[in-house]
Amino acid sequence: MQGEGLLAGLLGSLKPRRRRRQPTEELPLASRAVGYTVIAALLAASLPIILSYTLLVELSFSASFIATPFEKTSFTLENWRLFFQGRLAPTAAQIYTPSYIRRMILDTLIVALGVMGVVVASATPAAYAFSRMNFRGRGALMRFLILLHAFPGVALIIGVYAIYVYTYRRLALGLHAGEAALLAYAFLYVIVARASLEIPMSTWLMKGFFDRIPWEVEWAALIDGASRLRVFTRIMLPLVKPGLAALSIFSFMAGWEELIYVVVFLPSKAPTLASYIHSQLSGGAIETAYLPVVAAAAVVYLIPTILFFVFTQSLLVEAAEGAGVKA
Amino acid sequence: MVEVELRGVWKRFGDFVAVKNVNLRFPDGKFSSILGPSGSGKTTLLYLIAGIYKPSRGEILFDGEDVSQLPPNKRNVGLVFQNYALYPHMTVYENIAFPLTIKGLPRGEIEERVHSVARMLHIDELLDRYPHQISGGQQQRVALARALVKEPALLLLDEPLSNLDALVRLEIRGELKRLQRRLGITTIYVTHDQSEALAMADLIAVIHRGEIQQVGSPEDVYRRPRNLFVAGFIGMPPANLVKATVTRAPAPCVVIAGGGEYCPGEPLASKLEALGLEAVVVAFRPEDVVLGEHPMEDYVSLEAEVYVVETLGRENLVTLRLPDGQAVKAITSPLLNPRPGDKMYVNVEPSKILLYDPETELNIEAIEAAPAARPVSLAEASERRRAAQEED
Repeated sequence: MQGEGLLAGLLGSLKPRRRRRQPTEELPLASRAVGYTVIAALLAASLPIILSYTLLVELSFSASFIATPFEKTSFTLENWRLFFQGRLAPTAAQIYTPSYIRRMILDTLIVALGVMGVVVASATPAAYAFSRMNFRGRGALMRFLILLHAFPGVALIIGVYAIYVYTYRRLALGLHAGEAALLAYAFLYVIVARASLEIPMSTWLMKGFFDRIPWEVEWAALIDGASRLRVFTRIMLPLVKPGLAALSIFSFMAGWEELIYVVVFLPSKAPTLASYIHSQLSGGAIETAYLPVVAAAAVVYLIPTILFFVFTQSLLVEAAEGAGVKA
Repeated sequence: MVEVELRGVWKRFGDFVAVKNVNLRFPDGKFSSILGPSGSGKTTLLYLIAGIYKPSRGEILFDGEDVSQLPPNKRNVGLVFQNYALYPHMTVYENIAFPLTIKGLPRGEIEERVHSVARMLHIDELLDRYPHQISGGQQQRVALARALVKEPALLLLDEPLSNLDALVRLEIRGELKRLQRRLGITTIYVTHDQSEALAMADLIAVIHRGEIQQVGSPEDVYRRPRNLFVAGFIGMPPANLVKATVTRAPAPCVVIAGGGEYCPGEPLASKLEALGLEAVVVAFRPEDVVLGEHPMEDYVSLEAEVYVVETLGRENLVTLRLPDGQAVKAITSPLLNPRPGDKMYVNVEPSKILLYDPETELNIEAIEAAPAARPVSLAEASERRRAAQEED
């Protein structure tokens, strides 16, 4: 009975509304069987993911090095202590200062928030223009945006790298920029390069939100005496709030999870969580890495994703339904 | 307040001509109505006046001043949209206050004006609610309050009653008219519902396919339709339109199927003669028909067969067939209840009969005196040809 309750809860979290209207007790036998089959299939499909996340969290709290979630181990906070002390590779006897780990989280945040800021600030006005203004080449430009999105970021990296090297050289040799300025430039470059990959699809997403606002609402504000800019800030932006929230979250996650551009452009002394975890597992590093501490880093790396699902589910449902936008 | 004049206004959307050469004057302080079926261009015309659209050609004048190129926020107009277009993220109070907030008025004055207009429209209880929390009729009042709070020189209403149920519509209709009288604000009301236009407006402009068909008082439009479109559009049900031939023996007479003959007096007879028409369209209103078992003296009487009888409560609507198959509708007392297949006489007083030229579709009475008649219709024909070319 308890298992059934758990499953019902699981299914309920997937489809909250429909579930409430049709409690299990009232389902006819045939559709109940179908329901169990679906749940079983979903569980089977997601089992590898669930198992690896379980292993990850378990490993970060375990005293010994385990390879499956079912191995015997004892609970400890030692790995987390080591992690927050910045002693990330104890077996290699390397000594890190505690500030290192805070820098790592801060760097990840800078990239994530930067990408979010650039994407929101450029995709929103662009989407408004595509939705509301008639200009030459509008249709062609919109098709071009889709094409841009179809390019994988990795394919662009050679060109992006060439520009980076050229500008970095000019900055370092021509302008004699200091180390701090060069580091800031590296961050700026990663942020803008990564954001530019997100902007095409984000513009399309936001255009959908603007499209759902009736023209009459905008005209009403114009007639009420507002200028076009005032209409945008006072009427349009508040009405696409769910879209702005979705866009912020998606672009934040894109920056938070970014690996390739970070590894290529940021100096290795400024790793993000993603590039740190990557550095511990790639090449020969995995031979010497102390994986329980890496697991602790990976759990911290998951926190935004978890928060994202806890707090934004209802918001995203609202965004998907476009609620509050109808006049 | 303000007098609105349109001079040779055209509006094109790509290849589609929405408004064709409209010349109109909406008098200061009066309640005018733009009446037309859906797709006739009436809302486009209203948006042109509001400044949402710019005319492709022609001028729009407010008190003689050309405002064609002014954006809507510089025209001092209030507009109530068909779907109300309230700001969903603002409370009723914030909605009404929005035009004043934009102007940057002091908070105290805004509060005072919002409350006074809300009291006038009986929505002062709703100020804290959001638009989705109130009924359609209340939303309509909020939209009206938002349009009126800035004390515009011109109030534009785009089918404001069409989304309301019948009883609320009747109530708000009366209220709107009283309000307009009291404020003396120039009002232009767009509707497809002729009963609204007839009941409320001082002046009606009938529009069809982007062209103005007739401008006049409700009485004019109802009693003396300028062309066949207006005759067939106005009225519940609209006027009967029956094809007839003209004989000259020696004076011109109109021969209608079912044994009816109508010999018009002067000046209609000489106009008919001068125009040299072989056929005309005869128009008369269903409520002007006296249905009887015998032809009546001094009336034009048509023999017809009852086709269907609809009981409407206050009256009966009888549809009859003339011998040549044309349908005629008659409104009769509910006591008269003929059976389908009965032979009856459709009696119409000659003074209630209007004649139309089937070619130009114009009311023969309205066509200018004989010598001028041809040039006028020629000019119209060339205008039509030009319009047709514009469309291509």
